[in-house]
Amino acid sequence: MHPIFVLYRKSCLLFLKNKVAVVITFLVPIILIYLFGHVFGLYRTESGPSGIRIAVVNQSSEPAATELIDALRKEKAFRLVTEAENADGTKRPLTEADARAAMHDNKYRYTILLPPDLVRENAIGVHLKFLSDPRNEIESQMVNGLLQKTIFTNVPQLLGKSLQLQAKRLIGQENLTAFNRTVADAVANHFGGDREKIYQSISGGDFGIGALTSHKKGQSTEGSAGLRRLDTTAGSNPGNAAPAAVPASPTEESTTEKKAGGFLSRIVSFETEQVSGKQVSNPMAARTVGGYAVMFLLFALSGSATSLFEEKRSGIFQRILSAPVRPSHILWGRFFFGMTLGIVQLSALFLAGKLFYHLDLWPHLLPLAVMTFAAAAACTAFGMFVAAVSTSPDAANGLSTLLVLTMSAIGGAWFPISMMPEAIQRFSKLTLVYWAVEGYTSIIWAGQSLLEVLPTVGILLGIAVIVMLVATWCFQRNKMFE
Amino acid sequence: MLTIKSVTKRYGDLVALNDVSLEIAPGEFFGLLGPNGAGKSTLMSLVSGLRAADSGDIFVSGQNLRDASGPLRHELGLVPQSIALYTDLSAQQNLELFGQLYGLRGKELRRRVDEALDAAQLTERRRDAVKTFSGGMQRRLNISASLLHRPKLLLCDEPTVGVDPQSRNAIFDHLQRLNREGITIIYSTHYMEEAERLCSRIGIIDHGRILALGSLDTLLAQLPFEDEITFPAKTETEALAGELGALGEITTIDGTHRFRPPAGFPLSRFFALAEARSLSPRLFTSRRPTLEALFLHLTGRTLRD
Repeated sequence: MHPIFVLYRKSCLLFLKNKVAVVITFLVPIILIYLFGHVFGLYRTESGPSGIRIAVVNQSSEPAATELIDALRKEKAFRLVTEAENADGTKRPLTEADARAAMHDNKYRYTILLPPDLVRENAIGVHLKFLSDPRNEIESQMVNGLLQKTIFTNVPQLLGKSLQLQAKRLIGQENLTAFNRTVADAVANHFGGDREKIYQSISGGDFGIGALTSHKKGQSTEGSAGLRRLDTTAGSNPGNAAPAAVPASPTEESTTEKKAGGFLSRIVSFETEQVSGKQVSNPMAARTVGGYAVMFLLFALSGSATSLFEEKRSGIFQRILSAPVRPSHILWGRFFFGMTLGIVQLSALFLAGKLFYHLDLWPHLLPLAVMTFAAAAACTAFGMFVAAVSTSPDAANGLSTLLVLTMSAIGGAWFPISMMPEAIQRFSKLTLVYWAVEGYTSIIWAGQSLLEVLPTVGILLGIAVIVMLVATWCFQRNKMFE
Repeated sequence: MLTIKSVTKRYGDLVALNDVSLEIAPGEFFGLLGPNGAGKSTLMSLVSGLRAADSGDIFVSGQNLRDASGPLRHELGLVPQSIALYTDLSAQQNLELFGQLYGLRGKELRRRVDEALDAAQLTERRRDAVKTFSGGMQRRLNISASLLHRPKLLLCDEPTVGVDPQSRNAIFDHLQRLNREGITIIYSTHYMEEAERLCSRIGIIDHGRILALGSLDTLLAQLPFEDEITFPAKTETEALAGELGALGEITTIDGTHRFRPPAGFPLSRFFALAEARSLSPRLFTSRRPTLEALFLHLTGRTLRD
């Protein structure tokens, strides 16, 4: 046999014997491809985000407002919240104050207010108010686009109604009635139909705009194609996902839709208010630093914990445990080292963020320190867990690669979890990455105080305790210290 | 110093130690001789408190290990089989670390570290990373690290595995010096030469049982023969080997016949048989039996099996 073939065969055998290498080579990419596939909608007939909670506060008495809410409810990306719960458990219609409070607590990040003057009397068009917390830029842009699409394509009657009101104000009811009658007669003469029904329809505001905008119903949930951004208004941070009156992807629009959309975008007035993150000097950095910092920390601590195997292999544990030292001393020593490493690493990463991206750190120093403590504890416990359930350093490295990348993906470190199917989103909250990202974003982006982030801190510490207990049990079971 | 009473240890279905009893006096250099898997390391780990026996008791200085905690650990020092050191740290840092685990601090710690470095002949290299040391230097440091707290009983678990002969001799000298200074040593090995050279008393262990116990002379006296004659296993010696089987104990290992005549067997008779087959006397070697022969006699296997 030729030496080249012998050596080739040897490489194949060694690779196949190394289960970790096989896992990292095949399983990790396959899992990530699966997750990214979901994110980019490769498996779904209807791609795009899902399960985004949107609050709707209806202050309008217009019947069309109800129709608008129904239309929003049909949008698969959204989970509408229209009610708040009283202290006794009964429900009441959501108020603006309820919505603002809930947005502050990050229960949802978007609210649509249908104001009493939804259909304006002093100008042509429709007036809506949009409250947003664009802590995730990608998600915010998607939500903006989807909202506009839903409104433009489903409730044209609002615009007709507005036109009727304006006409009434300008030319008076008598002339308007005559005008409507004339138009109804002309339509009936040229196209047939019941003259009175056509008149009633025109008087009710239906000019057939819906025919211009709703012809693509059923196809129009395709990502952000054909969507409009919302108008820029005062209070938005220039660096944020500021809605703008430009088409998101004009090249993908049909000519008809362009005309209708352009027309509609001029007469639908969105009053947009960014409820948090306005003060952030570098929104992009504020949004992303937490997720990436935690991901790198997980890698570092997992690597560090696997050194336990080296200590066991070299007999150092034997030497240490023959001294007046208990296994728990070794574990706690390792845990405190991990905590220190974690706190120092996270601090260094945030300081780098401050240095390179002018991240606002100083106003949030106390909550950041506490959150860093909790995140470091949870990440250290994770590293210990990986070492405890693995049988070798190679296995630990493979497992940590798999878990860290998966947790980062589904925990929201890379992209909004709303881009994934709701089934996967349920698992997000089981990951420490999710809570660390939530905590850091709440502090750096939303400017929450220590008191406000304490629940998240508590969850991270709870994860640390539970994972550490499991790790300790696994260490005992695997006889790591024998 | 150490009393082991009816100790049994199992790993699942495998009985690693089976009703082992042993008594080791203060100042003894005790050898635990047996092949790999005989139960030596398990016995060491039980005595050092790393594992607990399933049954039986171990007493160190009269105290039951089962009930003892910190203070008793100060009486024991363990030299693990492998180089149990942090190789990225310097010799001094390693010694300081292990000394601190025994509660040594400040000047006393520095003094003990200096002594340990001196004993390991590594004073000049104290600040060098252990990974830059030769195998022998690492082994010496490995032993010194176990002596920082001045244990009364030193457990050496095959401390010369993979060590070159020169370094091995240095380690032997070091251990013998320690023993002369009054430290009781239990030395486990599967090299009979080491046990013969170092140990005042030897326990032969196999399959978790102590098969024989005593000084070298006492052990060898158990053999039913006084001499061992070896000769190469060749075509021309086959007939002789066959004939000798009827006269005494003969085994063939690694191309060598070993003939152990019964006590009182006249060697002249052996040589007469060889001469009758025109075999040169230079083919034959007569020597005093070794522990290897005793182990073979007791188990039917060599120490390397």
